Amino acid sequence: MALLPSSLASATALGYVALVCYAISTGFYGAYLRKPRPIFGRAATGLAAAGATLNLVALYARSAVLHSVPYRDLVGSMALLGFFLAVISLLLEIRHRDRSLGPYLMPVVFLFLLVALRVPAAKSPPAPELKGVIFALHVTLNMLAYAALAVACALSALYLVAGHALKGGKSLTTGGAASRLPSLRYLERANRTSLGVGVLASTCGFLLGVSWAWRVWRPDHPSWAFDPKIISVALILAFYWAVLVRAHRGAAPSTTARLSVLGFGLVIVSYTAINLFVSRLHTFYR
Amino acid sequence: MSSALVFLGWNHRATPLDLRERLAFSPERAREALEGLFREKVFSEGVIISTCNRAEIYGVTELEDGLTPLSRFLARFHGVEESLLLSTALSGRGEVTVRHLFEVASGLDSMVLGEAQILGQVREAHRRATEARTARTVTNRLFQAALECGKRVRTETELGSKPTSVPGIALSLTGRIFESLAGCRVLLLGAGETVELTASLLVDAGVSDLLFCNRSPEKAAALAAQANGRTLPWDDRVSAFAHVDIVLSATGSQEPVVRAEAVKKLLAHHSRRGPLLVLDLAVPRDIEPEVGDLPDVYRYDLDALGALARKNTAERQGEVPKARSIVDESVRKYEEWLLGLSHVDVVRGLRGKLEELRLAELERYSSKLGKLGPGDRELVERITESLVAKILHGPTVGLKEGDPSERLERAAAVRSLFRLDRLDGEKK
Repeated sequence: MALLPSSLASATALGYVALVCYAISTGFYGAYLRKPRPIFGRAATGLAAAGATLNLVALYARSAVLHSVPYRDLVGSMALLGFFLAVISLLLEIRHRDRSLGPYLMPVVFLFLLVALRVPAAKSPPAPELKGVIFALHVTLNMLAYAALAVACALSALYLVAGHALKGGKSLTTGGAASRLPSLRYLERANRTSLGVGVLASTCGFLLGVSWAWRVWRPDHPSWAFDPKIISVALILAFYWAVLVRAHRGAAPSTTARLSVLGFGLVIVSYTAINLFVSRLHTFYR
Repeated sequence: MSSALVFLGWNHRATPLDLRERLAFSPERAREALEGLFREKVFSEGVIISTCNRAEIYGVTELEDGLTPLSRFLARFHGVEESLLLSTALSGRGEVTVRHLFEVASGLDSMVLGEAQILGQVREAHRRATEARTARTVTNRLFQAALECGKRVRTETELGSKPTSVPGIALSLTGRIFESLAGCRVLLLGAGETVELTASLLVDAGVSDLLFCNRSPEKAAALAAQANGRTLPWDDRVSAFAHVDIVLSATGSQEPVVRAEAVKKLLAHHSRRGPLLVLDLAVPRDIEPEVGDLPDVYRYDLDALGALARKNTAERQGEVPKARSIVDESVRKYEEWLLGLSHVDVVRGLRGKLEELRLAELERYSSKLGKLGPGDRELVERITESLVAKILHGPTVGLKEGDPSERLERAAAVRSLFRLDRLDGEKK
């Protein structure tokens, strides 16, 4: 570990290198979508993998410098989320031998890391109660859930775009960028899988969070369960469970796709606006 | 006497199918024809391309009018009147031949503009001629350059990227809905030729679950037995929409056999996973167009597929100028190479190269030579000049010996061994 950056500034610099990798990878994915030359595809995948590795190293280095978990603040959380997104994108690519998701997922990864690097870092160290296995698992599982739900959202958006292009009447074509999208059936299946992973991880993360809050918050805040963040997450979780069950029972894939996009919109609101401005207890990032 | 590259051919543009059938060459017949042309000294090199749309012969001849003995030979070979052959033939010498072959390999001369199979057929013709040793220096390079040109047109233009036939378009749309046809369940309505043909195509594509449904169950059963599929009672045709992936309909009915309202009602009460592709290949239509308005149902009829075919054909036409500029560039490169094989050019190149080496060596030792007197320096000059002249004598004579193809082979070898192509490039 002697090779790891030893200061916060160098860990941040490493984060920027990862960001550049993601940006160039996005460019190559875009080029690959327009003209599927193997060299573009390999460059895109290689740079995405390099970006994810550097992202992880930067996170680890930051944790080592701060003697804290990476998600002690919004910076670390967003960077970790970006990392999970990149990993899920690469896993889907390897699993299905299909690069057509990269052009849509990699810009999201880029944006997450960009935001993480631009927002101010927390000045004070995390409260002592934020340490421990339960809290670590709660956050990690939620990050994984957010990443999986973001992928499900991207897959759903692609399903709707590809479906629209195929229903296009006079604008129907057999070529162009739309023809390079993954097949509808693949998008529908991958969407269900991502939703499943996201909902399960989120449920476990939520239950662990509740158990942690019961132990830590209850003594000082008897009405902790009514915190807007907890209520919003519970409602969003219920919504996602309903979507997932409907999808498995054979709901129209386009309806599932629309609900998945809507669900992720709610997740963003909960993760940002409610977390930052409404919640009274879930305020670790201020 | 100089040798020339010529071609003589009959293709879909000018020759009716029945005559093309008579002029077709099987691989054995092609070899036989080329051997005959070599025996009669019409050709010193040759390659024959024979497909369902063309029969063309390319070669190197030393005869002033090589095309006349060639057509005479082919008339005899195929047992067809020479006047009939000549009235429908395409022919050319020199650059025209090169350009024609490059356009053929690029799909610019195909019946379906930009079709892909022709490149494989040109490659196969070249392979067979190489095996039979009838393709030599000039035709080898010609066909290699043609294949390269064809590949460039394929990768650098959109000439062949979009399908233009109804089955090709249907297949392309299927690929955008299902990642693979294997594992798809297909319902086939009707029992005519279209259904029979499609069923065999689907089986070839890996579909193992075929449901045949027809008004007369006997015909459906016969098709099902043939394709290892199952039958479905005619009355269950709509309810099957809930558990199939693809519906293909081609009945002879004058009325729609599937009503939108019935499908809507079915899908409202039966959940189904994944998208449904509906291909209505019947005229008049079998499936009401409103079925395509239902969520996750993608319905295409002959009108939609035909419109796409026309649109793609028009788009391919738009790519022709780009393809032609690639052909122009490839022809120019090939012609440059071919011109470089002329005796005068090779000898001049070789002389220049050796003279350059001679002067370079003299320059290298100039400080030592400077110590010599003027007479000695003159002597060294003369010795080196004489050495170059003696080295050149053998190749200069050798390049004039043998038949035209042997001479060209030697010229190509000299150019390659002495790196004359590189020298030319550097000068340019």
